[in-house]
Amino acid sequence: MAKKVLILGGGDGGTILANRLVKKLSPDQVEVEVVDKSDIHWYQPGFLFVATGEAEKEDISRRRPKLFRKGVKFTKGEAKKIDLDNRSVEISDGTKKTYDYLVIATGSSLNPDEIPGFTEGVDHFWNYDAAMKLRKKLFSIKEGKVIVGIGGLLYKCPVAPLEIVFLAEEIFRRRGVRDKIEIKYVSPIDRAYAPHLLNKVIEDEMKKRGIDVITFFSVDTVDPEKKVVNSLEGDSLEYDLLILTPPQQGAKVVRDSGIGDDEGWIPVDKYFLNVEGYDDAFAVGDATALPTPKTGVIAHFQAATLANNLAVEITGEGTKELFDGQSFCVIETGMGKASAQVSNYFYDVPPGLIPNWLLHAMKLAMNKMYWRCILSGMI
Amino acid sequence: MSDVQPTVTVDARGVACPGPLTSLIKAYRKAKNGDIIEVLATDAGFKADVEAWVKRTGNELLSLTEEGGVIRALIKVTAR
Repeated sequence: MAKKVLILGGGDGGTILANRLVKKLSPDQVEVEVVDKSDIHWYQPGFLFVATGEAEKEDISRRRPKLFRKGVKFTKGEAKKIDLDNRSVEISDGTKKTYDYLVIATGSSLNPDEIPGFTEGVDHFWNYDAAMKLRKKLFSIKEGKVIVGIGGLLYKCPVAPLEIVFLAEEIFRRRGVRDKIEIKYVSPIDRAYAPHLLNKVIEDEMKKRGIDVITFFSVDTVDPEKKVVNSLEGDSLEYDLLILTPPQQGAKVVRDSGIGDDEGWIPVDKYFLNVEGYDDAFAVGDATALPTPKTGVIAHFQAATLANNLAVEITGEGTKELFDGQSFCVIETGMGKASAQVSNYFYDVPPGLIPNWLLHAMKLAMNKMYWRCILSGMI
Repeated sequence: MSDVQPTVTVDARGVACPGPLTSLIKAYRKAKNGDIIEVLATDAGFKADVEAWVKRTGNELLSLTEEGGVIRALIKVTAR
């Protein structure tokens, strides 16, 4: 009898896992169902390019049901409660789904109210609407103070605030207003970006581009009336445009089911990804409490590892693999160039790659390959 | 300093830079003056990071020790 794999969340991790499972196993071996509250799939790295005017809605979104291979059942609905002990998940329509294996791929959700004044006073690009709003401002501001940087400390895509500051600087330059705009980058630590070698490259580039780095500035509150951002360290900065990472937390269903930490991130085994204390429930992607970056590439590699391991578990054939924490992020630095960050559990000092056109070309290629090659489980 | 009872413990063992420091800042956001924050970390860079952070923020570093590869920082919150 086919084993039932229930996947909560149809983002990168959930989609890649589902497609890889039906590619590896036959319908009499596995039954795969994905539950997601939305039938639109967003390519989230594309929000950056929406903000900079280089991508439109149709470039970065697809109808979710069309992204699954034949054999994957997609159900539009919201998981409300997960009961790991009874292998059951309550869905928003009141039905309960049972499973042999559960994979929680519910991602992270924005929690802007953690920083008072964020919703009214801050721009960001962590969803389509916010990215479009930011685009209008980037292309209309004529003068003043632009502050970019880290607001919420744990957020999707660690390099995103660096990318937007470089690309915003390029936009202002192209628009001929750069000399009337002061750009500051705020960071809660003593440098712009944590990995030292890469930080050297980033700070050199910022210096070259006239971007001031304000260190030890942990955003505490924002006053949208006075247009001032205040730090925990007691400093205040005036702004005309403020672009910060929104605070984020685990999905509501995780928090409501009591299976995450105090922010709703799920503790899992760092190599096998099973939820602590369970061998039939797993989590992949942003949903986990692992110290890996919250990025699509992590979700992709985790889904590949877990697809293999579930196939081994179901068939009793083959060898299980370990997830090694592998991450690879291209960092757009503008002017047609990009750097990159590479790390894993055993190598956490990424090299400082000098920005070059090849990495930029890779990022553009990835934007296209994502739909056809990555989500389908081809690579 | 072993008799000092922390108000909150931040366990950032196994977390790479800047995880331990950002975890400390998260705890600091919720703290009040007089609280003692204990941070446990294995990232070697944390020692320099926490010293610089305490110096910049004006809080008090009660102790910074290392035993069996685990760095333990005790910080008294004085600058909230």
